[in-house]
Amino acid sequence: MPRTFLDIFGNPLLALGAGIGGVMTVLSLNTLFCIWFERKVSAWIQRRMGPMEVGFHGTLQTVADMIKLLGKQLITPRGVDKPLYHLAPLMVFAPVVAAASLLPFSKTVVLTNINIGLVLIFMFGGFAVIGIFMAGWGSNNKYALLGAMRSIAQNISYEIPLILSALPIVLLISAKGPMYEIEGEMIAINGMNLAHITAVQADTGVWFVLLQPVAMLIFFIAILAETNRAPFDIPEAESELVAGFHTEYSGMRFGLFFFAEYSNMLIGSMLATVLFFGGWDGPILPGPVWFFLKAYLLIFAMMWIRWTFPRLRFDQLMTFCWGALIPLSIVNLLVTAFLIKVL
Amino acid sequence: MIAAGLVMVLTIAGAIIGVGARRIVHAIFGLGISLAGVALAFGLLRSPFVAAMEVLIYIGGITVAMVFAVMLSSGGRNEPGEGLLRRTLAAGAALLFLVSVGLVISGTEFGPMPEAVDEAWSVQQIGRDLLNRFNVVFELLSVVLLLAIVGAITIAGRGDESLDPAAADEGWA
Repeated sequence: MPRTFLDIFGNPLLALGAGIGGVMTVLSLNTLFCIWFERKVSAWIQRRMGPMEVGFHGTLQTVADMIKLLGKQLITPRGVDKPLYHLAPLMVFAPVVAAASLLPFSKTVVLTNINIGLVLIFMFGGFAVIGIFMAGWGSNNKYALLGAMRSIAQNISYEIPLILSALPIVLLISAKGPMYEIEGEMIAINGMNLAHITAVQADTGVWFVLLQPVAMLIFFIAILAETNRAPFDIPEAESELVAGFHTEYSGMRFGLFFFAEYSNMLIGSMLATVLFFGGWDGPILPGPVWFFLKAYLLIFAMMWIRWTFPRLRFDQLMTFCWGALIPLSIVNLLVTAFLIKVL
Repeated sequence: MIAAGLVMVLTIAGAIIGVGARRIVHAIFGLGISLAGVALAFGLLRSPFVAAMEVLIYIGGITVAMVFAVMLSSGGRNEPGEGLLRRTLAAGAALLFLVSVGLVISGTEFGPMPEAVDEAWSVQQIGRDLLNRFNVVFELLSVVLLLAIVGAITIAGRGDESLDPAAADEGWA
C-alpha cells in the first residue's frame, strides 16, 4: 500500500506543510493552465485563434491576467453583511484544498490514506454550498442572492445522484473483501478507501467504467452540476444574473471564487478517474502522469460540453435530476447489488 | 489537550452566536460553526466516519435546509419580536432541555479515549449496529425530525403577513 506524507516526513507538522504546499502548487498551476486551455478549446470550437499575444500561443496570458487581478482594488459595497461577505471566499476555497489532499495520485506515494476518503470528499463538497450561500446572502444584491439560491438547490439535488452513482463502486470493492491480496500483500480492503479502489482496478486490470458505464455517466453529469459548469451554470448565468453569487466581489476575492471553480473541476475529474478509470493505472508511463492525463482528458470533455450545449432552464435542471438521474442511479445500484449477490 | 480546548471554544462560541444573533441567517451560520466543532470533537475522539457524517448531514444537509426554510418563509431579514410570555416559555424549554441532557450526561460512564482508529470496528459495524441494536433509537430520531419539521411550519406559518405574496416579495430586496 502507498506511503503517506506522514510516513515520509515523520513529523506531522512537516507533512502538513509539505502537503498544503504541494496541493496549492498543483491547484494554482491547474487554474493557470485551465483558464488558458478553456479559452483555447472555446476558440477551437468556434473557429477562432483564442489568446495569441502573450507568450507562445498565449500561454502566459493567464499569468498576465492574474497579475492584473492582484493589482485591482477590492471594493466592498455598502450594506453588505460584513462577516459573511468577507468569510465567503475562504469558505468556498478552503474545502477544495482539503479535498484535493485525499486523492491517491500515485501507486507509491499519497498525501493521506484514509479509509473513508470517499465520504470525506463528498463532505468537503458540502462545505462549498455554505460558502456560496454566504457569498450570495452577504453581498446584499438580489442577483447574488438568486444565484446563491439556485446554486444551493442545484448542489444539494445533484449530490444525491453523485453519491448514489459512487455507491456501486463501494459495493464492488467490498464484495472482494474482507481480505484481498495486492502484489503478495494481504490487506483488509475497504470500499471507501480511494487507494484501495485504484489498487483493485489495477490488480484485476478491469477499470470500473467497463462494469459500471451507467454509473460513470451519471457521476460525470452530477460532477458537471456540482462544479456549476455549463450546461448547468445556472447559478452564475451571465445573461440573466450578471455573475450570480459572486457579482459583488472584485479583484482577488473574485479570483478566489474562480480559483475554487477550476480546482473543483480538477478534483471532480480526478475523483472520476479514481472511481471509474483506474486512477494511476496504465502502461509504460509513470502513475502520476497517467493520473493527470486521465483527469485532464475529463476536463477537456467538460469544456467540450460547455461550448456545445446551451444552458438548461431551472425547471429542466431539476426535472432532469429528480426525474431521470436519481431513479436511474437507484435502479443501477439495485441491479449491481443483485448481480453481486447472484454471481 | 490544547486541541480539545480549541474545539470546545469553537463549539460554544458557535452556539452563542446561534442563540444570540439578531438576524436569523447569522443564527444559522452560528449553528453551522457549532456543528463543525462537534464534528471536530468526533474527529479528535478518533471516529472520522461519524465526524464526516456530522458534517455531511448536519452542516451540508440540515443547515442548508434551514437556510431554505428561512428564505422561503420570511426572507430572513426580520427580527423576532420581544415579549415576556415568549421569553418565559423559551427559558422554560431551554431549562428543561438543560436538565434532561445534564441528567443523561451525569448518568453516563465514559470510558478512556481509544488509542487509535480501530480498523476492524469499521463502517460495516456502524451499519449493522444501526439496523439491529440501535434500531429503536434510530427510528425515534426520525420522529424528532418530524417534530422539527412541524415546529418549523408552525413558526414560519404564523401571522398572515408571511403568507402574503407582496410581503414575501419584500424579503428579497
